[in-house]
Amino acid sequence: MILTEHLTKQYGGLVAVNDLSLNIPQGQFFAFLGPNGAGKTTTIKLLAGLLKPTSGRALVGGYDIHKDPVEARKILSYIPDMPFLYDKLQPMEFMVFVGQLYDMERTEVARASDELFEVFGLDEIRRQTIENLSHGTRQRLVIAAALLHQPRVIIIDEPMVGLDPRSARLVKNVLKQRSRDGVTVFLSTHVLPIAEELADQVGILHRGKLVAVGTIDELREVSGEKGELEDAFLALTRGASATVEMP
Amino acid sequence: MSGLTFFRLQAEVNARIMRRNILALREKSYLMVAVILLFVVGYWIAGYELFYMGFHRLAELPALQVIVLDRMLYLFFAFLFLMLMFSNMIIGYSTLFKSQETQWMLTLPVRSLDVFQWKLLETTLLASWAFLFLSAPLMAAYGNARHVSAGFYVKVFLLFVPFTIIPAALGSMAILAVARYLHRHVFKWALFGVSTVGIACAFAFLKPMQAEDLEPAQMSAALQQLLHNSRVAIEPLLPSYWVASSMIDWAGGLTGRGMFYFLVLLSNALMSMLVCVAVSRRLYYEGWSRNHGQGEFQLGVPLLDKPIKLPRMALVERIVNAWPRLHGATRALVLKDIRVFWRDTSQWSQFVIFFGLLGLYVLNLRSVAYDWNNEYWASFVSFLNLGATSMTLATLTTRFVFPQFSLEGKRLWMIGMVPYGLKRVLLEKFWLSSISSAAITVPLMLTSSWMLRIPGWLTLLFASTIAVMSFALCGIAVGIGALFPNFSSGSTANRRDDNPARIVSGFGGTFCFLLSLVYLVLVIGSEVLPMYVSFAANGFNDRGQPWGLVFSWIFVSLFSLVAATIPMSLALKKVELLEI
Repeated sequence: MILTEHLTKQYGGLVAVNDLSLNIPQGQFFAFLGPNGAGKTTTIKLLAGLLKPTSGRALVGGYDIHKDPVEARKILSYIPDMPFLYDKLQPMEFMVFVGQLYDMERTEVARASDELFEVFGLDEIRRQTIENLSHGTRQRLVIAAALLHQPRVIIIDEPMVGLDPRSARLVKNVLKQRSRDGVTVFLSTHVLPIAEELADQVGILHRGKLVAVGTIDELREVSGEKGELEDAFLALTRGASATVEMP
Repeated sequence: MSGLTFFRLQAEVNARIMRRNILALREKSYLMVAVILLFVVGYWIAGYELFYMGFHRLAELPALQVIVLDRMLYLFFAFLFLMLMFSNMIIGYSTLFKSQETQWMLTLPVRSLDVFQWKLLETTLLASWAFLFLSAPLMAAYGNARHVSAGFYVKVFLLFVPFTIIPAALGSMAILAVARYLHRHVFKWALFGVSTVGIACAFAFLKPMQAEDLEPAQMSAALQQLLHNSRVAIEPLLPSYWVASSMIDWAGGLTGRGMFYFLVLLSNALMSMLVCVAVSRRLYYEGWSRNHGQGEFQLGVPLLDKPIKLPRMALVERIVNAWPRLHGATRALVLKDIRVFWRDTSQWSQFVIFFGLLGLYVLNLRSVAYDWNNEYWASFVSFLNLGATSMTLATLTTRFVFPQFSLEGKRLWMIGMVPYGLKRVLLEKFWLSSISSAAITVPLMLTSSWMLRIPGWLTLLFASTIAVMSFALCGIAVGIGALFPNFSSGSTANRRDDNPARIVSGFGGTFCFLLSLVYLVLVIGSEVLPMYVSFAANGFNDRGQPWGLVFSWIFVSLFSLVAATIPMSLALKKVELLEI
């Protein structure tokens, strides 16, 4: 569902993403890890079509995100770490607006919004203006809006920032459930326990290069660390340069 | 989704937001709404009266009225065109490339071309409405002076639509090229360079009239020279020429010619849009992607490819460090404020324009030495100079000092927690801005007084007045800035507090400027009045004894002390209780 082939992004002399090749099948929950400045956000922006690769290509649902962006974005939802919302709109108005942008029928928008509002506990604030919502509520609203058009691929950058434990649990459950239902989730995070808990596969990026990809157990095995994912992560990002592909 | 559907949805949501913003006015203070309305209506009335008076004076010269009036219109539209283009470039850069909303739109299933077109429309409206608002009194006065019918104003409105499109298209194309081919840091320098060159050109080409030009015998020649110097505005290939010609012809009853120029303008506006869209097809997405990639810029020109390093303000830092009896925390705050301002290149272009205008003002002072043997005239010009300098100071304090407290917004948690508290922060801002303002205005006053050959004792009086005013106006700006701060609403998307220009454009900024103006009027009025009374008592030939002025200076100093103390005291009380 997400395919990158030799994806490279250079900033002058700096190679932010270096020859990244990934194949993430439908329904997989993929956690993308890496230290600060490893190139995670650049990769995500390349996958969302916000940045143009220096070389290589990225396909979402079979569509090249740079050659056929409109078709790719129809099946994609991108949730950045600092999402945008219209402060003067009400949550329900925002949902209707987003639904129309994705060519959804009004009745369908209303039905899906009701469902998502209930799931995310947003029912009580549907008629308040967004500017009055707390950070956590805004974050839940953004995620609800991103799920409105039933995307087949979700790309999400640091989703748990600012969420209380209940909201964080809720978001994790929803994302995992979507993944079980066949949606591909590409999640970038610094919080290793989240990856440990949710991910089917984990990719570790270090200095723009994919240094390891596989299940948690496979990462533990290849890193030689048998304990927490944190130990494996630290071992794998200790100056590695070659990709370790799992069988 | 089609581009039209996207436009419709955007228009609907923006209309809803606008309606909600208007309704939100009901929740704001009546004082704020009244001040804004008063400002709008007051500006229109005062502007109209001023222009109409000017046109009326021209009517006393029937042979010249139409020529001068029309040439003024050509010049006005030529400058308006340049300002619109500049405004479109500045707003377009942030709307097309820096806005979070744009980033969000580019992740939606719409073409980047549609996003560009919508944002272009938004830029055009944002960049043009203020100019139209400001020029409305001039248009009304012009129409009245030419005795036109009501239909003329409808035609003028129709003319403005294509007229605003051309600079928007040209400005956006320039921005697209800059974003695609220049790094954003270089862009700031480019903007700075363009501003500097613009000011230099103004110095070179806008030669002031000399005193002798104003002698009646020389008027005709001076007028000839004026018309000759402004002939660039009647270049028939300029859009400003088409719009002015159309207006002039419609006002003169030449409907056919007026329509011809309107159609020329309209066809060029449509063509410029087509070219702009074609250019955006190639450059917008590339430019956006490049603009959001750090350090991606490589022109292959070593000088430009090097990262820009600003020189350290070593001398200023040494002075601040060596300043005796300065508390360590205050010293740190002063250094921080100086460094932050020095490194914020986005403010520099405005600073250049600001000082460029001051330079032009000083350059033009030579021309007002008209009848210097007449003491009444000399005093009149001296006060005019004080008025101009203090007005400049009020603009400076509102634009650069008022936002200082709001700019601390996201950092308040840190400086508010230091053991010395926010009171020290506020006092530091007051002293730093007052001393800096006085350092600019006192030399300016001394130079302009010297150029105007103002007597020594009067120069001293004006210099000390402007020094006192610097402290009072900074007190007002810092105080009102803390009393009516413009912080972020808490939204991650909302970055209002990072942009000083936006902070100033809010209620607090407007209130601060109006309060500063009231203060100026009272101060200058209280110095002018005894002077006028003294002249009147002596038949306007002799200034008489200077005691009246000395007493008024003492009053001005005491009044300034009060003007600075009240907002500062209120602000100090407020920050003491401020919940961060």
